[in-house]
Amino acid sequence: MLEIAELRKVYESPNRSVEAIRSLTFSVGAGELVCVVGPSGCGKTTLLRSIAGLLPVSGGQVRVAGVPVTGPPPRMAVVFQEYGRSLFPWMTVRQNVELPLKEKRVPRPRRLELVRESLESVGLTDAADAHPWQLSGGMQQRVAIARAVAYEPQVLLMDEPFAAVDAQTRADLEDLILALWRDLGVTILFVTHDIDEAVYLGQRVIVLSSSPTVIMEDLKIDLPAQRDQLTTRSLPRFGELRGHIYERIQRAREAR
Amino acid sequence: MKAGVRGKAGVRVVRLFGLPVLLVLGWWLVSGRSFYLPDPVRVARAFGQTWFSARVFDDVLPSIGRLLAGYALATVLGVGLGVPIGLSPRLRATLEPVLEFFRAIPPPVLVPLLMLLAGIDTPMKVLVIVSGCVWPILLNTVEGVRALDEVLADTCRMYGVHGATRLRRFVLRGASPQIMAGLRQALSIGIILMVISEMFASSSGLGFTIVLFQRQFQIAEMWSGILLLGLIGLTLSLLFRFVERRVLSWYYGAGAARA
Ligand SMILES: Nc1ncnc2c1ncn2[C@@H]1O[C@H](COP(=O)(O)OP(=O)(O)O)[C@@H](O)[C@H]1O
Ligand SMILES: [Mg+2]
Repeated sequence: MLEIAELRKVYESPNRSVEAIRSLTFSVGAGELVCVVGPSGCGKTTLLRSIAGLLPVSGGQVRVAGVPVTGPPPRMAVVFQEYGRSLFPWMTVRQNVELPLKEKRVPRPRRLELVRESLESVGLTDAADAHPWQLSGGMQQRVAIARAVAYEPQVLLMDEPFAAVDAQTRADLEDLILALWRDLGVTILFVTHDIDEAVYLGQRVIVLSSSPTVIMEDLKIDLPAQRDQLTTRSLPRFGELRGHIYERIQRAREAR
Repeated sequence: MKAGVRGKAGVRVVRLFGLPVLLVLGWWLVSGRSFYLPDPVRVARAFGQTWFSARVFDDVLPSIGRLLAGYALATVLGVGLGVPIGLSPRLRATLEPVLEFFRAIPPPVLVPLLMLLAGIDTPMKVLVIVSGCVWPILLNTVEGVRALDEVLADTCRMYGVHGATRLRRFVLRGASPQIMAGLRQALSIGIILMVISEMFASSSGLGFTIVLFQRQFQIAEMWSGILLLGLIGLTLSLLFRFVERRVLSWYYGAGAARA
């Protein structure tokens, strides 16, 4: 579904240039949930924005469903890292979710159904007529997720969506993502700086090095498909996998 | 409890009317010493005689009509030009110094020029008002559009929100706090220019009438005209505030939520 080939991004400004991504090559199959983990500043947001067609790349290519990306692909949704800022403060929760559907010319009955279902799936039915700024951070995050889900994307990109919410909310939202992924059959690329989160969520974890950014490891997560905060995280295999990733990162740090 | 509520209402009434009453009393005390400062009763009587008459239709309403026409035209021009300039960094770099220059010209000095170009009738007066009102609206719109949140802009791109919907639901709405600030500045400028435009080579209008009273030493009538201008200004600004509260309710709400 996603093919990233020798992707390179250098931010050019008159007095300096920043090599955010040196070279990344990987692909994500249809219906897969892949986590990208890396330290902050390693170019995770840059990678996501390149895939989303929001950023011109300096080299290499991104393909979505076989089509080279030149602008935002039609059936892709993004949950931005700054999710609070990604909601229109002058619209209600319902209007925020509905706007992209109106632009897609989804007929009204279907639109209302999608809005209702998506808000229900994130547990925000009662907040439909509130404005985003009346909600907590975790709730705002769920509005952003509902909007993405209602859009019925083939591919969903998420940029450190839970970095700024408390631990309990975070666990709930992680399970929400897993449930949505299972129900919708959508392809998800999930970016995080948290190794545990990556292992818990992903079928695969791609570990990025710190800048100049390359792929350090592309690891298959052979945990049972049915995940649960308590049992999955206490499996010996869970500990092995996260230990393995920590070790890789540690060794890379020492090698420098 | 009930006394408390009544007490609070009492405090509000005192707050609202206290200072005006004091001012009128002060006026009363100092009035009468000079021919040019008639007492409040005489001015009030002159007010009734002067303005509850055909003058409403001959002078007051035409003045207000020109003000509103100029203001509306300036709004369309200011927002209509401000949006594309705000959206395009290149247009902005080219135009901004020029715009600042034009904004720096005091509009009253344009009156003689506009008289040559547009005559001395209504078009000239409306143009004077436009020439003053358009700058704060334009420059604030440019600033508001320039400062639109880029995460929201990305959101629009990602979810295919474009064209007229993008303009209406994102650009204008997002810039509306700044646009309203510009409109508020423009309103007070507009009232000043309404009066000034009527003081030159005119034969009707509020500004003209006040100058006429002054020349004819109808001092109480002159004062009543000034009072009327103040009341018109107050009414318009209250109306503006009412509209602003509605248009920007999300903005005040979000601000309160952040604080
Ligand atoms: N618009 C930009 N201009 C210049 N440099 C940038 C820009 N955006 C990001 N960078 C730089 O690129 C690197 C990667 O940033 P980013 O993709 O945001 O990392 P992450 O999301 O992993 O924290 C950082 O060194 C950052 O300073
Ligand atoms: Mg980031």
